[in-house]
Amino acid sequence: MRYFYFILLCAFAWGCANDADPEADKASFTRIYDNNKFGSVIYPIDIKQTSDGGYLILGGRKLTTSNFSGIYLLKTDALGAYVEEQELDEDLVAPIGPLMFLNDGYYFFCMTSVGLQTQLIRVNPNGTIDSQVSVGNSYPAAAAQEGNNFLLLSYNNVDKQSVISVVTPAGAVQTSKAFSIGAGDAVEEPIINHFLRTGRQLPFLVGRIPGGLFYFNGFFNYTLSLSFTNLAADEPQGILQGQQDDGGISQAVPLDGGKFALARFNFGDNYFLPAATINSSGISSSVDLGGNVLPELVPNAAVKILRTTINGRKVVLYGSDTNGKQIVILGYDEATGSLMGSKYLGFSNPYELAAILPTSDGGLAVCGRTYVAGRFGRICLFKLSSQEVESAFKGF
Amino acid sequence: MASLPKPNNQQTKFLEKQWWLGFKAGTNLAEASLVKAYTVMAPTNYSTELNYKRYDSFVKTGSQATLEATFYYKGISFSAQPTYRHTRFTYFNTFRWTNSEDISQTLELRYDQEQKIDYADFPLFIKYDMLRNKLRPYVQIGIIYSLLINANKAVTISGTDYASGGVNKFTQPGLIVGAKDLFENYWSLAGGLGLDYNLGNVRIVLEASYLKGMSNITNTKNRFGNDRLSGIADVQDDIKLNSIMISAGVLFPMRFLSSNFKTLDR
Repeated sequence: MRYFYFILLCAFAWGCANDADPEADKASFTRIYDNNKFGSVIYPIDIKQTSDGGYLILGGRKLTTSNFSGIYLLKTDALGAYVEEQELDEDLVAPIGPLMFLNDGYYFFCMTSVGLQTQLIRVNPNGTIDSQVSVGNSYPAAAAQEGNNFLLLSYNNVDKQSVISVVTPAGAVQTSKAFSIGAGDAVEEPIINHFLRTGRQLPFLVGRIPGGLFYFNGFFNYTLSLSFTNLAADEPQGILQGQQDDGGISQAVPLDGGKFALARFNFGDNYFLPAATINSSGISSSVDLGGNVLPELVPNAAVKILRTTINGRKVVLYGSDTNGKQIVILGYDEATGSLMGSKYLGFSNPYELAAILPTSDGGLAVCGRTYVAGRFGRICLFKLSSQEVESAFKGF
Repeated sequence: MASLPKPNNQQTKFLEKQWWLGFKAGTNLAEASLVKAYTVMAPTNYSTELNYKRYDSFVKTGSQATLEATFYYKGISFSAQPTYRHTRFTYFNTFRWTNSEDISQTLELRYDQEQKIDYADFPLFIKYDMLRNKLRPYVQIGIIYSLLINANKAVTISGTDYASGGVNKFTQPGLIVGAKDLFENYWSLAGGLGLDYNLGNVRIVLEASYLKGMSNITNTKNRFGNDRLSGIADVQDDIKLNSIMISAGVLFPMRFLSSNFKTLDR
């Protein structure tokens, strides 16, 4: 009989046990990567998950030797715990995202602090430099991966041109086309302020419609425009015009059937268009696109868009920054454009979005910047489990 | 102490068994026993241990109210004592940012957190009466399952800012956050001492018990689930909850030989 009571007690203890769960710890966490330096300012740019389940974060850091930002790389383990950081040499500045994974390495563009020449950097999963090659163009503004090559949008400050290039992993410019931003210093001023981070961060973009035209969101003919080009003709095939730097496209991701998931801004207002049709030939205006107005977002908000699948449905996630200093993610059904849910991240201290990443466990990693104690800019990482994601974007 | 008159055989046999019903109330002190520390802050140039929470032990008083049903048999009692318990414990952590080249550029912050948790306890105790007089000291051991009812957390942020032109000590308005999702039910083992005093047909009880938490009280799947707390770099550690409970109350006998029989006089 006493064995019965012993077994009963063991069963009770086992039933009530609530031991640490490493899988749950990996699935959902919040991290703020802090250092105790009073003057340290660090901001994130992009994040990738590495083969060990951890994360590699590309960021920038404030330099005292240059007006441009230096380069910062942070490696975490799968639990989000700090593994190591790299502060790259101050000769390299102005890093841009995304981190692009190719041939077992992670690539990104930056430029030299003195010659302002674009560099293609390859790092290993721990963020240590494997190689550095000079691409030649100045002021890298936006990049994307295109098959086994990279697309680069850069600004030529000598000829005042937006330059779109196809760059090989070896750093060779395969194809390139330049478009004038227009004459005069007034057009250039917001561009330089963008690079110095003394002004608004402009939504420079570059990409390609699958199998079709290349596109870039940059200055063309005095206006921040989404321009379509075949990289052969001297003029863009199509232009979706903004209003100088006061209006235009904040983010664009091609969808199936010639549609785009778009975000646009206009004199501070923000609009999301989950399934927009853009005329990639001829000239049109972004103002005519309409869209869902988002007054909760900060004026001219930076927007990230991620195509993913949640609960078996294709979903477009929009991430941005709210006036309440939180990160918001809105999910839309890719087929219908209908809202499927929202998720707010961050509280108490200000939070800003840098990147959204689907993770190998079906969850999401949301990387951003917070201001610890309301003043120290630090990288933060929210890991959402697949259950949290499915619950947030299950539809109505 | 005056000895009681000897009961006759019928009374003795009758007094071998008794049911008692009653209620108790009192205070409790709690201690959070760390199992595994978790932090939101992931330091890149200082030790993670500096961000660990520091728990106070048996400092904050809580309260509890108990209904007791006890079956007594030949000096041994089996007792069910469903209890509503409000328990509190505190912890704090500190942060410091400084410029090694200019020490005046320093900010120190301290986060004081008070955790309040309400449980419905379902204990089963076995008591042994060491004496069977009017004053009856007893020892008891038991097992307790605690059902989470509610939880909230109050956070106060204070600090000293040396960088704004002087020594600026400040305290920010407190934040109170519902935190039920961060916790789970748990179980404990208990041991205690008590004293019964028979006063006519009523038994006065004074007892003290130590509850040793045996399982983690934290909801491990939801430890980062509260944005309000993780936003200020607070995350729930894995902890076990130990408590000291002191209660006083009255018990009433349920079995009588006759209307004028003084059950408690034995």
